Amino acid sequence: MKRLKKAGALLMALLRELADESAYRRHLAAHGRPHSAAEWRRFSDDRLRARYTRARCC
Amino acid sequence: MKRTIGCLLWAAVSALAALALGTVALHRGEAINSMWLVLAAACTFALGYRFYGKFIAARVMALDARRATPAERLRDGLDFEPTNQWILFGQHFAAIAGPGPLVGPVLAAQFGYLPGTLWIVAGAVLGGAVQDFTILFASMRRDGKSLGEMAREEIGKLGGFTALATVLLILIILQATVALVVVNALKGSPWGTFTVAATMPIALFMGLYLRHMRPGKVLECSLIGFVLVVAAIFGGQAVSESAALAPVFTLTGTGLAVAIILYGFFGSTLPVWLLLAPRGYLSTFVKLGVIFLLAVGILAVRPELQLPAFTRFTDGTGPIFGGKVFPFCFITIACGAISGFHSLISSGTTPKMIARETHAWPIGYGSMLLEGFVALMALIAASVMQPGVYFAVNSPAGVVGAIPAAAAATISGWGFPVTAEGMASLAQTVGEKTLFFRTGGAPSLALGMAHIFAGAGGRAVLGFWYHFAIMFEALFILTLIDAGTRVGRFMLQDMLGHVSKPLGRTGWMPGVIGASAAIVAAWGYFLYQGVRDPLGGINTLWPLFGISNQLLSAVALCVATTILIKMHRARYAWITGIPLAWLVVVTFTAGWQKIFSPLANVGFLAHAAKLAARNAAQASETRRLIFNDRLDAVVCGVFLLLVATILLDSVRVWIGILRGTRPAKLNEAPFVETSLDLERV
Repeated sequence: MKRLKKAGALLMALLRELADESAYRRHLAAHGRPHSAAEWRRFSDDRLRARYTRARCC
Repeated sequence: MKRTIGCLLWAAVSALAALALGTVALHRGEAINSMWLVLAAACTFALGYRFYGKFIAARVMALDARRATPAERLRDGLDFEPTNQWILFGQHFAAIAGPGPLVGPVLAAQFGYLPGTLWIVAGAVLGGAVQDFTILFASMRRDGKSLGEMAREEIGKLGGFTALATVLLILIILQATVALVVVNALKGSPWGTFTVAATMPIALFMGLYLRHMRPGKVLECSLIGFVLVVAAIFGGQAVSESAALAPVFTLTGTGLAVAIILYGFFGSTLPVWLLLAPRGYLSTFVKLGVIFLLAVGILAVRPELQLPAFTRFTDGTGPIFGGKVFPFCFITIACGAISGFHSLISSGTTPKMIARETHAWPIGYGSMLLEGFVALMALIAASVMQPGVYFAVNSPAGVVGAIPAAAAATISGWGFPVTAEGMASLAQTVGEKTLFFRTGGAPSLALGMAHIFAGAGGRAVLGFWYHFAIMFEALFILTLIDAGTRVGRFMLQDMLGHVSKPLGRTGWMPGVIGASAAIVAAWGYFLYQGVRDPLGGINTLWPLFGISNQLLSAVALCVATTILIKMHRARYAWITGIPLAWLVVVTFTAGWQKIFSPLANVGFLAHAAKLAARNAAQASETRRLIFNDRLDAVVCGVFLLLVATILLDSVRVWIGILRGTRPAKLNEAPFVETSLDLERV
């Protein structure tokens, strides 16, 4: 049961990483700012600008 | 004691691998269960990971757990961030798993299941995983530098430029090829077209939801998007049964090509948050979910393979694409065995997020083996269909005959019985008008997947699963197209910036529109050419894509070999040297045959000559086909020339270092001892 919980937590962490939610949390912590719509937009714009200049795999 | 148990366990895995591979390779006549393929791959991959991967990690690269990674030294909370190795494993796998490992094996199944299986198993262990691992290692030691930057630093300016030009050319061919796969899957299919079209407004809604309604709630938003997409599949069924709406969503190949070209253009010019990003998130989750579902389905159903180990088409007369099993099986299956594109991912985000150097082993080597599994599952999905059905779906009308009865007779004449009535009944079951001439691999993969899913959940829902699979394939192919066009636009603007400063500015609208239009026009031309090709187009474009992808892999392996030699590990240069030599032989043979083969079903120039000899050269359609053949020959020649350039340049560098006439200057970041607490990652 403990292992199952750990695997579930790992899966959720992976999904949050893929969804950029973890990166956003790190961004807020690094800059010491609270969550807001404007802050998300700032983070998201920077993140997506970097992501969409790199080739995607076939 | 523990060591003895370990040795016994690995001896048992080795024996099982030998038994499974022997069974797969030697079994003839009766149908074989797909579990033998799964077992052969699982045991071989486990052995490859445990012994070969570990050997490379420990002896060749000497991964050092004490050395701080770029994620630790340059930590900025955004790009550079130490990440849990299994999370990063999942992220890296999600990035390398595209449509390639799904479509390539389906097309290569025309040779039978055995050539593809053996190539996936051997290629992934000895080639693909080695390439991904070595490039990830090299980039990690260089603060996350890209393949192009490493080529420039380690080989020279010529190498760097060649790598950049190769990537841009490959992007163009890739976009056209995968777009053609979507066109052929949706042609004349109102159900599929509606479902895929509905993903556009859904993505726009998701973009607005994420931007203005619930900022930051990506998982929540993606879940809503997924529910809407599934609702769109049911909506598609209603549309296909509606006398008024069905004709609106019944598009020709040309109509669909124009729609995808326009989509690529808008995807490249619209703000990323509005369309690309929400689609990207949704596509990633759906992709991982479907791959997991397919694995569970195969394990639950354990289907028998209907395709033989070898078909008669190993002799090069295949209807899906021309050319013998060597070299064409090895360029048709690229991703899944070895893919140059992976080197771009291994030198992209991943090296900036590795917490410990030793994590590069499971992430670089291990995730490629998992990709090999995905390719194997696609091959199984194609092989569980009746061979007659497989060839009826994948053969172009230009080869088997434009009328279903004639096509069925031709395919049955090859020894793969199929009837026009049987195909019509199957088409009706999955909610399509016809399944004949659906070249490109996606429809047959969808059929195979639907067959497996329906085996686990009942045949009544075959139509739903078929369109679910089509939606899944189209969704992430279109994500590849919009992102690829944008990347191509950036690369072009980067080059144009050297000529005129404003053209290089990515925020200057005329520059953005001009560069986007140029990139879209480039791949759109090849797409249009494929759509109008009487032989289905995929027979031309997929080999071109395969050759270019494998050549990019050769570029990556040149860089990796150069780095190994500079690290004074020349005695281990065979690790990358053998796959490099294999790829050079395979791709140059394939490239040469595609240009100069005297057989019209293989060589571009021979096909052009055959058309010209028909004495119909005055017809504009024939003139266009001849021009396209010649253009394809030129593109193929350019690929070969680019890679020959970087190969010769690399050999020059290797000889210089080994002779001592050139300094073995490594461009690694200096050693800094780690102080990272892994428990806190």
